[in-house]
Amino acid sequence: MTVITPALKWGLIGLAAIVLSLLQAGLFRQDLFNLNGVPLLWRFIVASVHPDLSTELLQTTFSATVTTLAYAVCGTFFSVILGMIGGVLASEVWWLSFGQPSRCWLLIRAAIAVPRAIHELIWGLFFVNIWGLDPLTAIVAIAIPFGAITAKVFSEILDETPRTPLLILLNSGVSPLTAFFYSLLPQAFLNLLSYVFYRFECSIRSAAVLGIIGAGGLGYEIFLSLQSLRYEQLWTFFYALFILNGLVDLSSAWLRRRLGCSSRIDLNLQQNKSKTPQKAAQNYFILIPIALFLLTLCFWYINPDFSKFWAPRTQQLFGQFVRSALPPDFSGVPQLIPQAIETVSMSVLAIAFSAFGGLLLAFPAANNFFLPGGLLNQQGNGSLPQIMFLLSRAVLLICRAIPAPIWALVVLFVMFPGILPGAIALGLHNLGILGRLMAEVIENQDQRPLAALKAQGAPNSLIFLYGVLPLTMPRFLAYSLYRWEVCMRETVIVGLVGAGGLGRSLTEQLSSFDYQALIVTLGGFLMLTFLVDWVSANARRSLR
Amino acid sequence: MKKILFSGFLFLSLLSLGACSSTTSPDAAKPVTQKTFTTGAIPDQDPEKLQRLYSKLSKYLEAELKVPVAYKPVTDYTAAVTAFKVGDLDMVWFGGLTGVQARLQVPGAEAIAQRDIDSQFHSLFIANKKSGIQPIQNLKDLTTLKGHSFTFGSESSTSGRLMPQYFLQQAGVKLEGDFKGQAGFSKNHDATIELVTAGTYDAGVVNEQVWQKRLKEGKIDLNQVEVIWRSPAFFDYHWVMNPSVKERFGADFPQRVQATLMKLDPNVPDQKEILELFGAAKFVPTKNENYATIEQVGRAIGKIK
Amino acid sequence: MAFSVPVFELKQVSQQFGQFSALRNISLQIYPGERVALVGSSGAGKSTLLRLLNGSVRSTRGEVWAMGRNLSQLNSKRLRQIQQQIGTIYQQLNLVDNLRVIHNVNAGHLGRWSFFKALASLMVPLEVETAVKALSQVGIAEKLYERTDRLSGGQQQRVAIARVLVQNPLVILADEPIASLDPELSREIMDLLQNLAEQADRTLVVSLHDVDFARSHCDRMIGLRQGQILFDAAPHQVSPDLIADLYRLESH
Repeated sequence: MTVITPALKWGLIGLAAIVLSLLQAGLFRQDLFNLNGVPLLWRFIVASVHPDLSTELLQTTFSATVTTLAYAVCGTFFSVILGMIGGVLASEVWWLSFGQPSRCWLLIRAAIAVPRAIHELIWGLFFVNIWGLDPLTAIVAIAIPFGAITAKVFSEILDETPRTPLLILLNSGVSPLTAFFYSLLPQAFLNLLSYVFYRFECSIRSAAVLGIIGAGGLGYEIFLSLQSLRYEQLWTFFYALFILNGLVDLSSAWLRRRLGCSSRIDLNLQQNKSKTPQKAAQNYFILIPIALFLLTLCFWYINPDFSKFWAPRTQQLFGQFVRSALPPDFSGVPQLIPQAIETVSMSVLAIAFSAFGGLLLAFPAANNFFLPGGLLNQQGNGSLPQIMFLLSRAVLLICRAIPAPIWALVVLFVMFPGILPGAIALGLHNLGILGRLMAEVIENQDQRPLAALKAQGAPNSLIFLYGVLPLTMPRFLAYSLYRWEVCMRETVIVGLVGAGGLGRSLTEQLSSFDYQALIVTLGGFLMLTFLVDWVSANARRSLR
Repeated sequence: MKKILFSGFLFLSLLSLGACSSTTSPDAAKPVTQKTFTTGAIPDQDPEKLQRLYSKLSKYLEAELKVPVAYKPVTDYTAAVTAFKVGDLDMVWFGGLTGVQARLQVPGAEAIAQRDIDSQFHSLFIANKKSGIQPIQNLKDLTTLKGHSFTFGSESSTSGRLMPQYFLQQAGVKLEGDFKGQAGFSKNHDATIELVTAGTYDAGVVNEQVWQKRLKEGKIDLNQVEVIWRSPAFFDYHWVMNPSVKERFGADFPQRVQATLMKLDPNVPDQKEILELFGAAKFVPTKNENYATIEQVGRAIGKIK
Repeated sequence: MAFSVPVFELKQVSQQFGQFSALRNISLQIYPGERVALVGSSGAGKSTLLRLLNGSVRSTRGEVWAMGRNLSQLNSKRLRQIQQQIGTIYQQLNLVDNLRVIHNVNAGHLGRWSFFKALASLMVPLEVETAVKALSQVGIAEKLYERTDRLSGGQQQRVAIARVLVQNPLVILADEPIASLDPELSREIMDLLQNLAEQADRTLVVSLHDVDFARSHCDRMIGLRQGQILFDAAPHQVSPDLIADLYRLESH
């Protein structure tokens, strides 16, 4: 006897969506695989063992790596500033502390949904039209969408923080602003900080993606050498990207542990978050100067031209851009509808692929599971789990370090353009991120119910089935749904390199400078994004 | 552990200091000073080759014009047009279509020079030998491509997309449905040659000049790939000058640049190399009106609004 | 009773966790059908002793024998066979709280079920009757399809007991089963445990804070202090002075 629970309902909807998307992708109907491209793919793979290590190229690699890092640092800096201001303004509790139960926060939250829904790359393409390829373009392209995302998350964190201390202060006559800064902010600080680290990791990946529009850095070099089919150079840049991503992830994880915040993002699934910080004050004392130093260095290195913000030329070009985009040209709408369906299908397939792959890799990649001393290996034997651990972590790192459009170009070696290669490319990239998040869920999992099953003599496979799976699955699904929203935004960028969906239209319109139609496509894309966000939010609510 | 991390940061910062001061860092990171004449080009071929070609040309222009000249690479055709519009690039080597797109967005921009070959430019349809596609004699026979996989060059390429699409249309080949899979966009002519040679796509279309040049360099394996059709002639590549240079370098600057380009002499070894890299015997003057046909086709295909 | 083979036998067992020694040189025997209360203050080593008995941890020194087997010399398969005969109830419940009650109760079968049977039961619950019987014994049969985390603490404790019933072990271990319950509920749970043990002549080892319950529901009391046995006697032999000694504040 089974009962139709909301969770089951959403499960069935999800399954149906995947099957429909596969049909939409043309499975069993069209020629999808282009096996003639296999030799080229092989050449690409073989090149991985002998990357170009000439001095000249290593110099280029080095400065490109620093550029990418600097974009990420500066972009994160501005997005955190924007996020703090926006986050406070978009939180219910801020308006509450002024004693006005106004709906302003809802308005602001709705307003920041728009910049958030547009991918960094699109922002980049927009600012290129105004500022050209100045580093400012890259920084602002990261700062705007990330600022909006940070604002949303910050406002949610603030609203979820217990309010009693704030109300006590307010009732004792402390001014609202002071009360806010003395009660709520210190309480929420660790969660906010933890999220900043996570954003920084994301910024590194975005900085690499922005290279594709010519903004410099590793993504740019990778794109150029992929175009010249120079795979040995390509791999040198790839390795630099792996190292950069790996180092950033490691140091961010280490810092978060030092400061006592365990998980990257907490999707409203109450977890025990803050463990006792170790000597926190002393840490800040060291970290703040380092952060400031690094920030100054990065600004100095890329040297963005801030005067462009108020230059008359900016106004002029902005005006020109706006004029060329108005009035919107709706004549292409009938064409957009099938492409919109394709885009959604692409995002569904991508997330299904990455959730499945992430699930497979997360368990060997978690440090408390198969490893000696871990839950399913208490005897502590075997070097195989060690190898699996390193291997799965490496695969996850490689998957997430390579930007989705680059994956798409690689997949297009052996597949015809369409939504399936786009979905695979997005899936590969997101697999790396999702697998990592899932491994973290496993590592933070309460072990006691599992130990209880073990103590009554249940074999490992059944502990997995009756303990691990039900305990971790809701969080896995929540993360997957969250990444689905991200995937939806990213469909545009794989479309730019020829992977189908609305992105392909966007590319054509961009290359035809048809901004009137472009703005309509973007509008359609925004609506799709909101739709996906809404569905995902509903599904996630049913998982709680 | 803390110490390791700290020294890591320090190390990284020192290295980046070094990288910056040694001026090996690429142009992209540095703003170009007002008095630099910046050139660019649509990335129609292997970006490495372009880099070599345009550094030589920059050196020549710098010596002749007595102003600093820089070459700034971009990642795609559209980016070249945008950079020209925004003023990042003063003079760009555009294709037929991109040149028209650029001039429409920058009032006063002028086509100043092209190669001798550009007024009679051709596209070549090429096919992998294993595909079984036979050479054809006239346009109507392009239908032989139906059922095969096919790749263009860049979305905005004149010889690699615009004119070929126009010819395919005239022959009655539809882009959606007539090819095996969707038509690809390889992004540049070298990539098209590579992809068709490897068999990734059965057929493709390239710029004749790039093909001839690679053939001469012995880079093309004629056992694998062959030309199946040479298209009718059309106007293609040309240099387009941004009117803003007049303010910065004087009203006669476009004429001076034009003259300097004309002056390239195949008898001077250095200049001969530049001409060879361009695949031209010499540069000739051109004017905006030469591209009216391209503009018409562009509008018909929808690449110009 | 004293002539049969002991269910548990500890031979000079010590347990270290890093620098901390949780148990020091413990020797004791527990016989079938006994109802043993472990009493002592927090950190005295009660939980550690229970975890040694059910094979969750291996002793640092000495031997732990259960049902005639030396636990440290068993391979994992043989160990599991022994563990199937030992049911444990925990203070923090340790249920998989986002599964429905029936699955948590059915988890008692896991030592015997094949993988596929267990998998099938997750989709369509199997052996529902056994589960219903167990749940009625603990008085919450109507909660069968409820999600476990929607139940109150007392109800969850009953689910944990029902799981042990389904497991049908020879021995029930309970680690402070009433620590977080009010007096009324505590009595009900302790009565339940006592009945379950008496009905099927099961052995019960329960650690308790509350000495009164130990006296009223058990037939043997073992007092632990700082990892050592202070006393081991029948309830009527344990004097108030001994108890005072047990909880006496230590000056190290």
